[in-house]
Order: sequence, then C-alpha cells, then structure tokens
Amino acid sequence: MALRARQKIRAPRRGLTVTKTDDFETNWKDLSTSLRKIHTKDASNLSFEQLYRNSYNIVLMMRGEELYERIKVLEREWLEEEVQKRVTASISPSLLLATHVDVQDQANERREAGERFLAVLKEAWEDHQLCMGMITDVLMYMDRVMSTDHRKPSIYVVVMALFRDHVLRSPIRPDTKTTVYDVLESTVLFMIQLERSGHIIDRPLIRHCIYMLEGLYETITEEESSKLYLTVFEPAFLEASRKFYQAEGRRLLETGDAATFCKSAMDRLSEETERCIDTLSSLTEAKIKDVLDNELIKNNIAEVVKLEGTGARNMLDNDRIDNLRSIYVLSARVDSKKTPLTTAVQKRIVEMGREVNASAIASAAPSKKPEAGEKKPSEKEKPVNLQTVAAIKWVDDILALKAKFDNIWQNAFQCDQVMQSAITSSFSEFINLSQGAADSRSSEYLSLFFDENLKKGIKGKTDSEVDTLLDNGITLLRYIKDKDMFEAYYKKHLSRRLLMKRSVSMDAERQMISKMKMEVGNQFTQRLEAMFKDMTISEDLTSSYKEHVRQSSDPDQKKVELDINVLTSTMWPMEIMSNVRSEDVQLSCIFPKEVESVKQSFEQFYLGKHNGRKLSWQASMGTADIRATFQRSNGKTQRHELNVSTYAMIILLLFNDVPAGESLTYTEIQAQTRIPDHDLIRNLQSLAVAPKTRVLKKDPMSKDVKPTDKFFFNHDFQSPFMKVRIGVVSGSANKVENQDQRKETEKKMSEERGASIEAAIVRIMKQRKTLIHSQLMNEVLTQLSARFVPDVNMIKKRIESLIDREYLERVEEDPPTYGYVA
Amino acid sequence: MSASKPSQSEYVTLVSGDGFEFVIPRSTACVSGTIRRMLEPSSRFSEAVTGRCVLENISGIVLEKVCEYFCYNEKNKNQTYVPDMDIPPELCLELLMAADYLDT
Repeated sequence: MALRARQKIRAPRRGLTVTKTDDFETNWKDLSTSLRKIHTKDASNLSFEQLYRNSYNIVLMMRGEELYERIKVLEREWLEEEVQKRVTASISPSLLLATHVDVQDQANERREAGERFLAVLKEAWEDHQLCMGMITDVLMYMDRVMSTDHRKPSIYVVVMALFRDHVLRSPIRPDTKTTVYDVLESTVLFMIQLERSGHIIDRPLIRHCIYMLEGLYETITEEESSKLYLTVFEPAFLEASRKFYQAEGRRLLETGDAATFCKSAMDRLSEETERCIDTLSSLTEAKIKDVLDNELIKNNIAEVVKLEGTGARNMLDNDRIDNLRSIYVLSARVDSKKTPLTTAVQKRIVEMGREVNASAIASAAPSKKPEAGEKKPSEKEKPVNLQTVAAIKWVDDILALKAKFDNIWQNAFQCDQVMQSAITSSFSEFINLSQGAADSRSSEYLSLFFDENLKKGIKGKTDSEVDTLLDNGITLLRYIKDKDMFEAYYKKHLSRRLLMKRSVSMDAERQMISKMKMEVGNQFTQRLEAMFKDMTISEDLTSSYKEHVRQSSDPDQKKVELDINVLTSTMWPMEIMSNVRSEDVQLSCIFPKEVESVKQSFEQFYLGKHNGRKLSWQASMGTADIRATFQRSNGKTQRHELNVSTYAMIILLLFNDVPAGESLTYTEIQAQTRIPDHDLIRNLQSLAVAPKTRVLKKDPMSKDVKPTDKFFFNHDFQSPFMKVRIGVVSGSANKVENQDQRKETEKKMSEERGASIEAAIVRIMKQRKTLIHSQLMNEVLTQLSARFVPDVNMIKKRIESLIDREYLERVEEDPPTYGYVA
Repeated sequence: MSASKPSQSEYVTLVSGDGFEFVIPRSTACVSGTIRRMLEPSSRFSEAVTGRCVLENISGIVLEKVCEYFCYNEKNKNQTYVPDMDIPPELCLELLMAADYLDT
C-alpha cells in the first residue's frame, strides 16, 4: 500500500513540473529578473502566481537550498551596489565633521544635512522592508520547506540581517571606519540635542529611523533583547542624556533659582516622556526617567531645597504652592522619604514657630512693668493684660501657621503621609519648646485662647464657625505634650467663666468638653464635667432655696437675694479662688449683717439637706448687685445700680454707716472687713482709682493704695448708664500668670504629677508583682504619655519613696528588680 | 481583512490551468496562504491589482473542489462537530498537492 501510494504521488507531480519549466536555470532566470523588477518597484506586471510557481518548481526539484543561497547573493549585491551607495551618497561632509565640532556652529547646516540623510536612510529601509515582504511572500514555499526541513532562518530574517551588515554597518567610505550606523546615531543624538535646546525637529523622521533600529536584530534568532535599538542606540542615547543632564543640573544650579530648577526639571520630565512616545521608543521611557532622576534630580535636589533665597524656605514663606508641588514631586521621584525637603520644611516650621514664640514673648514684654506694679490700675482703657493678648495672638499665629502648612500639605504635597508626620512632629517640637528657662507656656496660652473665645470670640458666630474654631484649638492641643498642664489651666479658666457667668454659650462649653474627651480621653475631662455638674446642681439649689425662703419668712424682711454655687472642692481649682498661702491662716472676712444673715440662713438650709458637709465661703469669687443713691450737691439724687464683686460690696456697705463727709482709712476698712490685703487693694483701686467707676474718693489722689489713705463716698459719681459694672482690677479676668503664680502652678503641677506617677507605678506593680526597673520605667512612660511626659528622675524618686513607704521592695540588684508589697 | 477596503472588490476570480473560472468571496479565498499573499494589496503584483488569480498547475476539477473547501472552511470556522466534507477518492492526491501548493 505504502509503495503504491508513493508511486501515485510521484506521478502527478512529474506531470505538473514537466509542463513548461523543467530547468533550474530557466526558472532562476525568470525569478531573478522578476526580483530585480520588484526592487525597482516595477512589480505590477508580474504575476505572483508565476513567481511562486517558479520557486515552487525549484524547490520541488530539490534545489531549494541553492535557490536560498542565490537569493542571498542577489540581495547582497543589490544592497551593496544600490542601497548602500545611495545612502552613503547622502551623507554630507558636514555630518561627519560635526561629530567633533561644536554643536552651535554649524547647527543649521548639519541639521539640514542630517535630515536629508535620515530621509534617504528611511526611504531605503522602507523600500527594503516592502520589497523583502513581497519577495518573502513569493518565496513562501521555499521558506516553508527550508525552515522546516533544513532549519534555516526565514529568508526575511536573513535579508534583514543583510541590510544590517551591508548598509548600516558598512563604512561610509572605503578608507574610514565610520559606519553608516555611526552617522545615524550621531545624527539622531544631534537632533535630540537640538530639540532639548528648544529647536523644532522632524520627529516622525527620527521615529522612522528608530523603527528601523527596532526592526533589526543582532542575532538571527531575533530575541526581543537583541534589537539593535536596545543593544546599540539606547545605551548611546542614555549616555548622551546623562552627560546632558549633568551639565543641565549644574547650569540650573548656577542660576540659583529653585523655582526655575523645579520648573525646568518638571518640563524636562514631560519632555522626555513625550520624546520617548513621539520620537524614540516607549521602551526607553523608564530608563531615561531613571537618568533624569539620578542625574538631574537626585544629585541636585538637596542643594535646590537649600538654595538661599529661592529654595524651599522661600517657597514656604511665600506660599508658592506650584513650586512646592513640583519640588515635592521631584523629591518623591528619587526618594520615598524626601529627606532634604522634609528637613527643610521641618526646619522652617520650627523656625517660624520660634518666631511666633519669640513675638509672643516680645509683645508680652512691655506689659511686664504694669504687671510688676500690679497694685496700680492699668493705664489702658480695657483691663485686658497685654500678655493675655500676646497669648491669644500666639495661638492665632500658630493656627495661621498650621492652616498655612495644611494648605501646602494638601495642595503641594498631595497629602503625603511622610510629609504629614514630619509637619506634625515639627509643630509639636516648637510648641513644646521651652521658652528660655521657663517651661513652655503653650498649655496656658492655649487655654487662654479658649477662654477668650468662649467669653467673647464666639459671639455672633454660627455654629459651624464655632465648631471650626474649637476644632482648631483642639488640633493644637494634640501637639501639646503636657496635657495635664493644660487641664490645670483650663480648669482654672473654666471655673472663672462659670462662676462669673462670663461664658457666652454653655453649648459651646459643652461642645468643647466633648471634643476634648474625644481627643484626650475620658479621664482628662472627668473633673471638667464634674464642674459643669456642680453648676447645674447649684442652680437647682438656688431655686429651691429661694422657694424655701419664700415659704419660711415674711416677704418684707427679705432684701438680699442670693444666688449660690456649691462647688465640690476636689473638682475645682480651689487654690486660685481663695488666695490662701500656706503660711498665713486665713480668717474669713466679715460680712455685713444683712448679708451675714442670709449666709447663715442658707447654711442652715443646705446643711439641713446634706448632713455632714462643710461649706466654706469664697467671697473672692462672688459678685453683687447693689443699688446706690448719690446725693448731688445741688440736692438732687441720682440712683445707679452697681454690679461689683462681693468684696467691693462689703466695702461699699461700710459707707452706709459712715456719715456724709466722713472718711474711712485703709486700715479701718481692713479691720472692719478682714478682706485679705491683696484683694482689698485691688477692690479699692477699682472703686476709687479707675476713672470711670470712681464711686469712692481717695485722699491723697494717687494710683497706689497705702494703709494711711482715706476714702470718702463720692456723691458726685457720674455715669451715663443706669447700670454700672465695676470690674475688679486685674482680678477676675483670666490672664497670663506672673512669675510667682507660675511657680506656684508649676509646684502644684509637679506634686500632682508625682502623685500620678506613684499611682501608675502602684497600678503596674500590683498587676505584675515583680518587674525589672527598665520595664517598669517603660510602662510608666507609656501609661502617662497621654497626659504628660514624665521626667525620668522624678519616676526614680517616686520609686525610691514608694520603697521607703514599703509599697515596693527591691527583689534583686542585677538587674534591678522590684517587688510589690501587698 | 482585505475585503474591508472599499476600493477592493468583494469577490475574486480564481482561474484553473485549463481555463475554468471560479468567483468566490475574497475572504473565502484568503483561507489559502498563497492566495492571501498573492492578493496582498501592499505588494503590487498583477493579481492584487486585477483580483484575478491564474493558478496554472491546478486543473478545473481540482480547483472546484478547492473552492468548495474554501467555502466549507469559511462556513464552519470556529465551530465544533463539523460534518466531514465529501472527497472523491480519485481526487485525493491532486487535492493534497494543491493544498500543499496553496498553503491551505
């Protein structure tokens, strides 16, 4: 069967081949003339079928290999004799010269010559490609047989390689080594150079030449990586670019303008991208960007950021968002940490923060004098202390700074996490920066800021405005390390607001507390909330007391109305209310009899309700409304309602018993009232010295109050208003503490901290029973870090003291270990 | 592929060695690699210009069967369970050779 089948196959084959063309040479002759015609673009008369049949016949004659070789020779001859000559002819001398000559000189000439050359080369390549396509099609049958039976590369690959060797790599003149490719490379690089310096070049032309390089391979197997473009051209291009950008980086640095640098770097980046897409190959995009990143950006960015006058600092100062954005983008390209930029930004924030701190101190400084002579009334119309203003300004400045950097962060730094943490840490750094010898006043300042806003600032603002205002404050609170300090101040200021009813909106106060709770935690606000609770209870108490009074006594007798606030002494900052110094024993002041009876009646009422409690009266915190009658010298009488502090009320009531024209000396007043010196002086100042509220006359008229001074009731008191509010000089307003007060607060603070540290140690030890020293330290630090940053020495002392008091014991010396004593 | 160009006619003519002409859709004819290349518009061979392919060494009978196969192929491409095409045994060898020639 098999034999017969083979015979049958042979028979028709011979029949077909024999017909016309049985001779190899005849077939070849037909074929080769036709191929030449194809080269000369004269193919329309040719019949594909005929050519195909020719090659088919030759292959069937088992002479395919010979055909293959002959085609190669034919093509090589064609390339050498025609194409190569045409290409080399198009190379003008200027092209060759210019490889060594200054670019600028003959730029135009060289460029034209280059374009001519590239055009010829491009045409040659395209012709070659087209012809080879046709020839390969015609020789398809041969190809099939050759590549399958003889494992030879396709004729197409071979002729492409021929083009590479006999056109591109042929010397342009017999006596030189310079090849066509060399000229091509230098020309293309030259063109790119031109484009980089701002000229317009024929991009598609170059693109076509690059296509050619991409279509040619080093090896016959045609691996992706052996493209001529990748093996030869790209490295050359990258090298040239490297040099260019090195120079460019130097040049831009020399111009000394960071903004220009960033702008041109950004431009270069997009330019190169565009170039890769339009002119070269997209394969190169990543690589050229690497070159840019390394040469232009990485090597220079640190210097650019630091550039005097125009660098990051200047951009930050002038809110150059665009420039900052580009500098950020550039930094982000080369370094995920963006170290130079981050350092610059941080440095600037700290600097600006210091400025804010310094200006706060500076603007506070002039107020030192009036503060020192605090017994005098302030010369200013408003009794607002300058330092308080400075404190509020400080907070405002920081908020402005914060807003500025938030804006920059959002718009320029694309909300980058690294940048954010850098900014945050810088803020907390300078906010917690100690100012000179004293500790940071930021806690106090911030609390004052809230105080000011809750007292006045939020008047007439919408809810959302108040909300943002408070939120801003809370943001700053986040930066403050010593939150316990803030709590102390806030408590103090809050208590004044609550007792003096100075708060504009209780809603805002509550909002504030809940915001703090969210930010710092429950423990932090516990006492503040307790203060609010006391206030509410006191309201109820007052009204029920009034009810009680109305029922128990006849209505005529009651002249004095009482509003009472009963405060839990542990929750409220008592020390600021009763200016009790530990040394002198404070005798409570003597109330006038009218008031005293009311006081006793309330005490009775209250103690009847709550057995076993002790009430102590804080006269310094109260206010009173009194109605005063002024006998004018012309016989008329003028009535005014005076709103005064409790102490002032006591003083004024003394004058009820003094005949007209008589006076009381300072010592007499003090003896009759037992008001502490400090408060008495201040109250007398506000009554007798302050220009608008001079209800008393003083002899001699001076600003200081001396023990020998005499005071008269001033019947000629004038005021345009029916109701007159007489503030106590620098007493009731919340303001920055002076040095003594500060020391006091700090002392208290450190005691309180000591207690918290001890509590933390005991808590930890109770749980762990035994613990190594360092571990204990760590745990204490982490436990307390939410409230303040404890001093390590202080912790050590506390541990010692706990050991002394036999809460702890030393279990081991090395490593030092403690045990809990139950 | 080439049929998409409006300038090219939808149909091409295949001519056998003994003068029979078969007009079939271009896309159908292009099942054959040889014919496809022959009609490739970018090469300017006479076949591509005229749309007429003279296949000297294929007889009319065989070419008829070839065309039948082209249509059969076109109709059943991308399908499974295709019914067998009926091939007369006496044409087998010549068809095989034609297939080899036409790269089908």
